[in-house]
Amino acid sequence: MNGKDKIKVLYIDDEQNNLISFKAAFRFDYNIFVAINTTEAINHLKANPDISVILSDQKMPDKTGVEFFEEIRKEFPNPIRILITGYADIESVINAINRGHVYRYIKKPWSEDDIRSSIDQGYKFYVTTAMLAVKNEELQKAYNELDKFAYSATHDMRGPILSVLGIIDLAKHTDNLADVKEMMGMMENAMLKLDNYIQNLHDYYSIRRGEVEIADINFDDIVKDLSDIYEVTSKMNNVKFVKNVQQAETFRSDEVSIKIILNNLLSNAFKYQVKNNENKFVELDVNVAKGIANIVVKDNGIGIPENSINQIFNMFYRGNSEEVGSGFGLYNVKDALGKLNGKIDVVSSADGTTFSIAIPNK
Amino acid sequence: MSQEKLNFIVVDDSKLDCFIAEKIIQNTGRCASVSTFQQANDALIYLRTMAANDIPTIIFVDIQMPVMNGFEFVESFETLPADRRSNFYIYMLSSSINENDIARVKGYSSVKQFLNKPLTSSTINHVLEQF
Repeated sequence: MNGKDKIKVLYIDDEQNNLISFKAAFRFDYNIFVAINTTEAINHLKANPDISVILSDQKMPDKTGVEFFEEIRKEFPNPIRILITGYADIESVINAINRGHVYRYIKKPWSEDDIRSSIDQGYKFYVTTAMLAVKNEELQKAYNELDKFAYSATHDMRGPILSVLGIIDLAKHTDNLADVKEMMGMMENAMLKLDNYIQNLHDYYSIRRGEVEIADINFDDIVKDLSDIYEVTSKMNNVKFVKNVQQAETFRSDEVSIKIILNNLLSNAFKYQVKNNENKFVELDVNVAKGIANIVVKDNGIGIPENSINQIFNMFYRGNSEEVGSGFGLYNVKDALGKLNGKIDVVSSADGTTFSIAIPNK
Repeated sequence: MSQEKLNFIVVDDSKLDCFIAEKIIQNTGRCASVSTFQQANDALIYLRTMAANDIPTIIFVDIQMPVMNGFEFVESFETLPADRRSNFYIYMLSSSINENDIARVKGYSSVKQFLNKPLTSSTINHVLEQF
């Protein structure tokens, strides 16, 4: 083990000799910090937040070890606290253990084996607790997303259905065939919107739960597929679609994730155009070099307001009143990039928006 | 039952739902005017600047809208001067079956009632009976 991987241990004792002998005995196995008083100890803890085990002598002039542990417990809750006592102070020790301030105590004079096994077991406990905290945090995040999801699902899935029910009610009271036909077109749009939402939902779960499948990526093929998809939109809305692909080396990554990322960014770029602009364009640049795929999706559309640019990657955030957004798209992009260890940057103004992505080769 | 004509304002980010509401309102035969807004902010600007009017105005506002939602709209409405607010009757509409939303509606004194989407001729006739 090198110094970086060693368990960090803090030892507090008011006798200099004890500090020296402790350090001498354990410095090869652990990364040892020593302190002659509690002030010094707190300085060590502040400077080294990854200290995982603290051993303290009970009998010290300024305060007892138990008092010290009690005092630091709030600010430094994570390190494992072990008390060393040669003093017949058993009452306060039992008390401290029962109140949870102390993980265990070691009798003086200590044996090296006692110390070693206490530190090792304490460290295991520390790691388990830390892992539990991480898992809890993940679980909390998953719960929060589920809450948001349940809330949005009732709105985004019921919304189009209720709209259609509304039109049906209206159509029942209409005799004019032309009006009814117009309403049919509206129902169609509502159903397309619902279908789009469900497809996004499917993407969301394939990113979330699906395994990453690493394979050779040919960006020419992917961009060709995307051109086919966006050809109609491009013609209908008079948006020029410019594509550049430079790939001279093999690139390995997850194709499904890359397609989700590009599809969402392009669909936004085509969607949020300035309606009366004569020179609407969407540009897709892919450049694979030195093991990194740099992708740029650029448009001269309406841009993203400055006050919402920090929120665009949040689930269900919608920064625009266009009724086509589901609030899923960019969240899925960010999630997929997370899986590929990729990065995304966005620059936006009233002249348009540019998303720049970097994905490393796997 | 009176047959007084009324003004209507519809605030909903869904173009389709605005259309439905507009048609249904026109079909009631009680419509003096109807204006629809897909952005709550535009509706607020309209309210601030519209000429004084003796006819009661009924506002249907959707809850879940991007940028400014229905609750934010009502909160801004409640900051308007009292004489600007008189003779306006707000009904909140939602596809949400979220109980928090429904409970929250009750907290706004200027909101008359919570209505479930879709707005149908029977819902609106029920509302109009009170005018």
